[in-house]
Formats: sequence, structure tokens, C-alpha cells
Amino acid sequence: MSRKTRDVLSVEWVKLELIRTAYATRGGLFARMDPRMVIGWYLLLAVAPWLTHNFTTILALFVITAASAALARVGPLVLGLFLIGFFTDFLYAFLAAWLFGGDANTAIALIEINLKLATVSLASIAAFVSLDPEKLSTGLLALGAPELLAFGVSYGYRMMPILFEEFGIVFTGLRLRSAPGARGFLGLKALWRWGTYAVQAFYPIFLNTAKSVRTTVESLETRGFTANQGRELRIARLSIGGLDVAVVAVTVMAVMTAFGLGSRWPLG
Amino acid sequence: MTAIIELDRLSFRYPGATRDSLRNVSLSIEEGDFVAVIGGNGSGKTTLCKTFNGLVPHYWVGEFAGEARVAGLDTYDSSVAELSATVGYVYQDFQNQLVRPRVRDEVEFGPMNFGMADFAARGAEAMAMLGIDHLADRFVWQLSGGQAHLTALASVLSMRPRIIVVDEPVAEVDPAGAHALYERLTQLNRDHGITVVVIEHHAEFISQYARSVILMDDGAPVWHLPVAEAAARADELAAHGIPAPQIVDACAAAEVPGAPRTVAEAATLLRDAGVSPSAASSLREDDAGERGIAAAPRPVVAASSLSHGYRTVGGDLMPVLHDVDLTIHAGDRVALVGGNGAGKSTLMRLLGGLQVPRGGTIVLDGVDTRSAPSARLADHAAYLFQRPEQMFLKDSVRADVLLHPAGRGRDDADALVDRVLDRVRLTEFADRDGRTLSGGQQRRATLAIGLAMSPALMLADEPTASLDVASRDSVIGMLDELSDTIAAAVVATHDMHLVAEWATRVVVLEHGRIVADLTPRALFADDALLAKARLVPPQIVALGRELGIDPLPLSVAQWREAVAPIRTEALA
Repeated sequence: MSRKTRDVLSVEWVKLELIRTAYATRGGLFARMDPRMVIGWYLLLAVAPWLTHNFTTILALFVITAASAALARVGPLVLGLFLIGFFTDFLYAFLAAWLFGGDANTAIALIEINLKLATVSLASIAAFVSLDPEKLSTGLLALGAPELLAFGVSYGYRMMPILFEEFGIVFTGLRLRSAPGARGFLGLKALWRWGTYAVQAFYPIFLNTAKSVRTTVESLETRGFTANQGRELRIARLSIGGLDVAVVAVTVMAVMTAFGLGSRWPLG
Repeated sequence: MTAIIELDRLSFRYPGATRDSLRNVSLSIEEGDFVAVIGGNGSGKTTLCKTFNGLVPHYWVGEFAGEARVAGLDTYDSSVAELSATVGYVYQDFQNQLVRPRVRDEVEFGPMNFGMADFAARGAEAMAMLGIDHLADRFVWQLSGGQAHLTALASVLSMRPRIIVVDEPVAEVDPAGAHALYERLTQLNRDHGITVVVIEHHAEFISQYARSVILMDDGAPVWHLPVAEAAARADELAAHGIPAPQIVDACAAAEVPGAPRTVAEAATLLRDAGVSPSAASSLREDDAGERGIAAAPRPVVAASSLSHGYRTVGGDLMPVLHDVDLTIHAGDRVALVGGNGAGKSTLMRLLGGLQVPRGGTIVLDGVDTRSAPSARLADHAAYLFQRPEQMFLKDSVRADVLLHPAGRGRDDADALVDRVLDRVRLTEFADRDGRTLSGGQQRRATLAIGLAMSPALMLADEPTASLDVASRDSVIGMLDELSDTIAAAVVATHDMHLVAEWATRVVVLEHGRIVADLTPRALFADDALLAKARLVPPQIVALGRELGIDPLPLSVAQWREAVAPIRTEALA
């Protein structure tokens, strides 16, 4: 065997992909928009598919969100996970229809619900990949969310790379120092071992982070987080511009067109 | 001058504690002072400083007696929020103080929370004062240690405080970074009249930057004196776990009275007293001896034309090491030095087989690291991570030390663990969780973990970082004692005391290339190299150079030898 440094499908790659996704470093159309409008845009596409049973409309809506996902520059990790889910769902739909003695109609009904779910998933992926933590938390504030929730969102993102790093180090330590063993059939034994390491890693990680969180909480106190007078200032930073209006307008028109197509050429 | 902090018979006991953490403290600090708070572990330094911004008694609700007035406000009657506008607090683990994604958000966070409309101007001003404007749009997790520290400082400066408290500023940054931070603090103190309070262990920083010193012992101040008077009480400081700066020791060894604050002052004092030591005779023999051993020893690890890099968030390949050739022989004690980002940690990870290089090969103890899984290579090389708690995977020190030998099925595992724990003098703490030990004990526990792996090569990342002087010296001593059980050791470090007193070979990395591979003495004699690698030699070495001693003394012990003959001559 020969080890080499991998650029994709490695732990390091997963970490980078998560950071790129969370912090919207790839840019994209929606990353330049006002977070309130992005959330609004998302709600529009998240609700629309549930208002119809027309297969043409659903397909058209799916195409719209797929195009949006492309414009949002969704990364390979998230897209890959989405596709795995999407195809296993379809497979499951066909298997279910076939096993339980359904006909083509049952299969189509199952495909319809799957397509609706896929549309909503793609829309949420496109929206949340485009919102960095600061934007998302300010956007939530502007929409009336409590301060604590908004902060929790941004702090969660802040902790993510730290926890991931910590997990990597503790996991490496366990791997290097624990009893070695055979790979087993299809590497199953190694997989099982890694699973146990992953669980064992939680004990040190929790204790190590508990200590650091104390500093964080004290520092939040001294920096007026509980004084809680900054809501208006934060919201005042947002502004809705031409791009925001244009994107939402185009989306509304596209959705209306989808419904129009559906009533003109219904597929089922 | 008026007092900005006044404590009157203040006592405080943490909830659930059996004794007071602060006992009847009466103290006043003048506005515009630069105060160093010193004292051993558990002497109440941090608790004292937390009374200034009201964390004690408002956040830590315990038994509070007496009175504390900060900038005219009674801390008991005001809130942490009110006091925070006056007092800024920078923590020792400042990384955890950063809570926002980007530097600008972080710096504006305080003013924004207090509803100050000019938050943007305040943030910009604070960043400009510390010269970190260019970092404004960085994510906080992209910052180096020094930059993160300045960001934490900027985030409290944006509140325009009159007092800034910095808890152990030197602990987690390199020496050049630590001096830079102190220079900034001095500037804030001098140009903006901000009162600075630092909790500090390192006498050399105290004597160089502070104006007055508070010595804490067992929850109460022993004295509060101007820095010159405090420095003169070297014996009393040493008794409280603050060893005197090396230059003060050096003057004492040469029997020259006085407590110099800088190396130049010490040199002048010594010259005026007519001390001009030449090298200790033992050193010359030492040098000859070192050359004698160098006859073809066994290579422990050999790297040839090594290159490596990481993918960045942007997706590009960031090269970290270029074309590195390095062979480490049995008996080598190598210190890997260089600024942050020079590639020290990467090189160590590659040498230990945790990762494999993108180009070139590494042969570790006869095994090509590409041909064996990292878990197997762990039998040849032990890698000690930078933060000790990252090595504590089990619930007791003993279990952690036992993990590797027991997993490899060694029959003598238990006996080995007993022996190793005894060597690092941790037998009595063996059943405690490593995280509950003091900093120095934690480092020794990680050394024990490494030793029990019976490696040919020991790799340690910053083994003396964030330790106080006494624990640091004990860890250096321990590394020294242990060298007979491992064939070779490599240490990545910023600590020049460790380099001077322990290493036999220094490899200087810069931008991923080896720019020098030499003895510590040769390194400290090379000004251009020191400046290039951002290294600051220990005071005793700098003093030796100032006085033109050759070969240079690397420790106070060597200095004593150098001055000893002169003293006898003077007496005769």
C-alpha cells in the first residue's frame, strides 16, 4: 500500500467544504443580496411546490431551483450529499411501488412528492450556502427573532471550525495510540474501530471545550451582550437594493410561468 | 495623579469554596500607571483583576465584603455592563474571547451591544491604534496567534476604556509577538493615558515595561512598589515563584549591586564595575567534545527533497515546505525554530508520519512513511501535540500513558507505566484526569505518554508554551534527563531558553525552507539570521554578546563559570 495526500474525499477536504459552505466564500448571486430578501426568496420557493399537484408545474419549479443552486455556487460536498439523498429516494419510491403491488400511478405519486422535497431542499441549500453567519443572524434579527437565537446562529458557525479541528486532533491521537488491528473483510473491522474512536473522541472534546466556553461567556458579559441595546444598530446596516428586487421579481415571474405551463400542458 | 482603582478591605469567597480567594485587600492604583500583578498559582491574581470590572461579585456571585471603587463607581452597586465601559479585560486564552466571524464585527461588537451609534468609528479607531486595520475583513479563525491577541485587545479598546487588564499576555504568542504586544500596551499607556494592568510571570517583561508591581500571596497583596524597588527584592520574588531576570542574576553572580532593566543597562553596570569575563574554560572543552561525537551516528529520520502544501479555503494549493533535506541522527536534540507559518508543525507531522509529503520521501527508523499506516509509525515516533489536553483521551493520567503500550500487547506495560510516571514525578497524580493538573504537570504527563510509546524519535510541538518560568525550567530539565531513553528528539519552539539550554542543533525554517542548520551558540552569534527568523535571544546570551564573550554563555550557570575566575583574581 502507498499513502498519499488527497485533495478531495479526505477529512481535510470535508472541513474546507464545510467552511466554504458556512461562510459563503464561493460568492454567488444570492451572497450579494440582503439577507431578509434571501430568506423571503427562499420562503417563496419553499412554499410554492406544496400548492399544486400538477406534475408540469412541479418539474418547472424543480428546474428553477436547480438553476438557482447553480447560481449560488453550491459546493461539491453539499451537492453530492443532496444527490445521494435524491437518488436513493427515487430508488426507494420505485422499490416501494413495485413491492407493494402498486402501478405506474403509485410510482408517479411517489416521484411527485420526492420532486417537491428535492425542490425545497435545493432552494434551502441555495439560500443558506449564500448567507454567511453574520448576515444570517442579522437577517433573523430583522425578522423579529430573539437576540439569543440570532447570536446562537453566528456563534455556532464560529465554533464549527474549532470543533472540527479539535475532533481531528483527538481522533488522530486515538488512532495512533489505540490498539492496532486488521482491516477485516471490506475494511469493516477498521470501519468499526473508527466508529468507536469517533464516539470516544467526545469525552475529551466536551471537557476541553467546556473550559474554553467559560471564557467566552464571561467575555460576552463584559462586552455588553446581555445589555442588549444593539438590535436597531445591527438591523440598520441592512439595505435592500436593485439586485434584491430584481432577483425576487424574476423568481416570482418564473414561479408564475411554472404554474401557467402546468395549466396549459398538464402532465398528470 | 488620582487613584482610579481603590480597594478597601475587600474579601471574596467563591461559592462552595472553603476559604477566601481574596483576603482583606486594600490597594489603590493610580490613573495612568502600568501595573504588573505577580504571584504564584492560586495567589488570587486573576480574582483580583476580576473585581475591577465587576465580574466579581456580579458574575461570580460569592461572599463579598469590603468596598471596591473603580473610576468613582462602587462596583457592588453598579453592573458589569456599566463597568465594562471603563475596564477592558483581555483573557489569557484570548482565542475564546473572539465570538464574531470577522475581525471588524468582533471589534465593533462591544459598542454595538451598548447601542453606541458611532460603533463603526470606534472600531476603526481601535484597529488603527493597534495597526491591524488591514485585518478588518479576515475571518477570526484565519488569524495567527499574535494577530488574534491584538484583535482581542482591539475589541476591548473600541469601548474606549480607561483601564485595560491583560491576563498573561506572553503565554500563547512568540517572543517577537509578545514584545510587539507590550510595545502597543506601552504606547496606549503613554499616548492615551490608559491605565494598564497585566498579570505576568516573566520578570524580564515586568522590569522592561511595567512602572509598578503588585506581589500577591494567598489572596492578599504583599506589597505594591515601583518597579525598580520591586526588582531589587529578587530573593523575595524568587520565594514567590518569580525567578529574577537573567541579567539581574548575572549581576548578582558577578557581585555587582543593582537591578538593571535592560540588557544594555546591565552591560553598562558590569563594564563600569570592571567586569570583563572571558569564556569559561569548560566551554571550550565542551565544544571540542561535541565535534568528537559527530563520527557517523545512525540516522533516525531522513527527509529528502521534501515538499508539501495545503489546500486553502479559496481552493488554491498553499505551499508550506519546499525542497527540504534533513537528516536527524541518534543523539541529536534538534530545535526547530522560525516565525509563525514557517512550516515547523508541518515538518514535524511529516517526520512523525501523521501525514505523508506531496513530494520527496521520509525514511523514519528504516521505514518509508508512505509504506506504512500512521498507527504503525507511532511505534517509531511519538508526536506530542501543542496543547496538552489534546493528548488526554482517557479519564486518568495512568490510563492515558497505558493506552499505547497496552494496545500493542506489551507484557510489561504496567511496569513500564509505573517506571515512566515515576520518571516524570507524577506517580501521586496518576489517577487524576490530566486536565485537572497544573500547566507544568500537564506537560510532564504528555512527556510520559510519549515515553511510554518507547519511540526512537520524540517530536514535541511547543512543549514549554504558556508555562510560568518555574514550570518551564522544570520541563526543560525533564527533557534533558530523558534524552538517554530516546534516540533523538525534535522540538518546534519559540522559546529561546529551551533552545539555549537544551538543544544541540538548531534548524531555522523560513517560508518553508531550511535557512540554517547550526549550533545554538552559532545561531545567537548571527545577527542577520536572528532578525530574519524573528528570534530574540535570552537575556544572558544577549549580555554575553554585548560584553564580547566568546564562546557565548547559554545559561546563567555558564555565565557564573565565566565570571568565577575574575572574582577570584579580584580577591587575590
